[in-house]
Amino acid sequence: MLEIRNLHVTVEDREILKGIDLTIRPGETHAIMGPNGSGKSTLANVIAGRDGYTVTEGEIRFDGKNLLEMDPETRACEGLFLAFQYPVEIPGVANLYFLKAAVNAVRKYRGEPPVDAMDFWDLVHERMELVKMDESMLKRSVNEGFSGGEKKRNEVFQMAVLQPRFAVLDETDSGLDIDALKVVADGVNALRNPERGFLVITHYQRLLDYIVPDHVHVLVNGKIARSGGKELALELEAQGYALYNEEPGRARRAAA
Amino acid sequence: MTAAAPLFSESYRPAFAEFVANRREPDAIARLRREAFDRFQTLGWPTRQQEAWRLTDLSALQTIAWRQPADALVEAGALPTLEGPTHRLVFVNGRFAPGLSRLPKLPDGALITSLGQALTTHLERIEPYLDRLPGLERHPFAALNTAFWEDGAFVYLPCGTVVEEPIHLVFYAAGSDVTVHPRLLLALEGNAQATVVVEYRGQGRYLNVPLAELALGTGAVLHYHQIQEEAPQAFHLGAIRVRQARDSVANLHLLSLGGQLARADLDVLLDGEDAQCALNGLTLARDQQYGDYHVRVEHAQPHGASEQRFKSVLDGKARSVFDGMIHVRPGAQKTDARQTSRNLLLSKQAQAQANPRLEILADDVKCGHGSTTGFLDPDAEFYLRARGIPATQARALLVHAFANDNLNQIRLTPLRERLARLLAARLALDLAEGK
Ligand SMILES: Nc1ncnc2c1ncn2[C@@H]1O[C@H](COP(=O)(O)OP(=O)(O)O)[C@@H](O)[C@H]1O
Ligand SMILES: [Mg+2]
Repeated sequence: MLEIRNLHVTVEDREILKGIDLTIRPGETHAIMGPNGSGKSTLANVIAGRDGYTVTEGEIRFDGKNLLEMDPETRACEGLFLAFQYPVEIPGVANLYFLKAAVNAVRKYRGEPPVDAMDFWDLVHERMELVKMDESMLKRSVNEGFSGGEKKRNEVFQMAVLQPRFAVLDETDSGLDIDALKVVADGVNALRNPERGFLVITHYQRLLDYIVPDHVHVLVNGKIARSGGKELALELEAQGYALYNEEPGRARRAAA
Repeated sequence: MTAAAPLFSESYRPAFAEFVANRREPDAIARLRREAFDRFQTLGWPTRQQEAWRLTDLSALQTIAWRQPADALVEAGALPTLEGPTHRLVFVNGRFAPGLSRLPKLPDGALITSLGQALTTHLERIEPYLDRLPGLERHPFAALNTAFWEDGAFVYLPCGTVVEEPIHLVFYAAGSDVTVHPRLLLALEGNAQATVVVEYRGQGRYLNVPLAELALGTGAVLHYHQIQEEAPQAFHLGAIRVRQARDSVANLHLLSLGGQLARADLDVLLDGEDAQCALNGLTLARDQQYGDYHVRVEHAQPHGASEQRFKSVLDGKARSVFDGMIHVRPGAQKTDARQTSRNLLLSKQAQAQANPRLEILADDVKCGHGSTTGFLDPDAEFYLRARGIPATQARALLVHAFANDNLNQIRLTPLRERLARLLAARLALDLAEGK
């Protein structure tokens, strides 16, 4: 459902992604692991359509459609979701209001009428329990004054309400204690089904004990250095990224 | 009156002479007019060399030969309404329109009436206040109003009187190249309480020079709302004087939406211990609109508290100015005075200017001010869009969020809800869809 072909991306004229190939089929969960600065968030942001990234080569197709031609809201309406590594605080916009606006935007795109108030309320409550979130959070401004854990949980909550067909989770596990991590994993696992795809970006293997991926890719310096099954994550846990961490820049400097 | 004497030329004097000749009113009032007119002549038309008018470009007004307005007919449908029971006075071109007004029964001794009519019936209630409050001594347009006002609203509540229903004062102007000078005189005696909604509206190219005088006795409480929604071609040069006695509370909500050029000068004197005032201002401007608040809050006595919260949202080539002074007199210890100015620019050509000024002459006070100006947060916009919300709606939502906490300060529910709808419509945000 998501096909990435030879993707090259520059940020401020610096090449960050240097030819990524990745195919994710419906029902599959892929994990991307990699050291800080390897380009994981860049990949997530390019998929979601954030400004500031230039695709110099390659393409991304979502169900065969050219994703890179769509604006971010169209991608979301087509069923794509990004759980942000750093969720944004939006003072003055209540969570519930925001969620309803999002749900209705997607419905409008599909030619459906606005959601029924009672149905929406039921859905919200059910999903809130899934991520063990407090009801008071609905009235608070989006992410404002949330702890790191609350923000991440709110991302999963939004995903659970919006029910995308394909979700990218960018380090949703970072900064979470083990209980919060389980909550996040439960939220994701509850949504896994044969039609839905996931791309789980993480720095640590730990999350993958709970969200067991079908495929693991190691992203180093803008390239997928290795791909494998879930056992690859364990291997990385044992050996770290040192094996892959041959920065060509450093190597060249050392040679000079 | 059909006089077509241009007001802004050498012929102020004949215009004024003709104006007063046609009025029959008590000597004391005629004297106030003459004094005010002399003051206006001495002060002269403001120039940008004067510090207080440095940023306000009045050149567009000076090319117009302003006239006194004729009587105008206004459809009741063109006038704003407030849900629920109200005391309502409507003025068209500064003249009382009894047919459009509605005055339910009042507590004993209370007056909500035409100021012009009250001159003959209740002069003794008016004289202690009219043009007696300090402040705005050097404001030429306050003087101009006192010289030329034809009518206005007079609200007088005796000691301990509480009027629950909002007092809705609608000032409508209509005409071409006419100038109007509506007046509001409000006096709350000790522990009296009132909620006032003043609305400025109109049609055509006119110059509105209103002056409001608000006197609060000991322990009085005033919730004052002013919605400036002048016609797009109109000019608004308004002024408000407030004097507060001990333990009084004044909450002023000022919303500025209309006119091509709108400026309001506020002068608040906290003249008794423990007096509190909150000034809550919001300007929405677009295209070539210019919106300006010049505020001075003077703490004359100890333990006073004041808060100035001014915001603007500017699109197109709109400009806003906030000039806010906190002055603390030597004896006014334990003053707590705050001021913030926050401006949101929706276009690269929009401009906001904030000039905070502090004159603190007492040593045991808390004073703070802050000012921010910025564009919409692109990260917040992307976050909303990444959830499917279209770009224009995302932007409207963020602007609404910025402006809304000012509106949320308004406790008068029908007004707050009406203004929220107005704001939403102006931001092309369909609340019904998202809510
Ligand atoms: N918006 C940006 N502006 C400037 N540099 C960026 C931006 N986004 C990413 N980068 C740079 O791209 C590289 C990869 O960053 P990122 O994709 O965030 O890595 P990861 O998520 O794997 O830690 C880093 O060197 C980072 O500094
Ligand atoms: Mg990252």
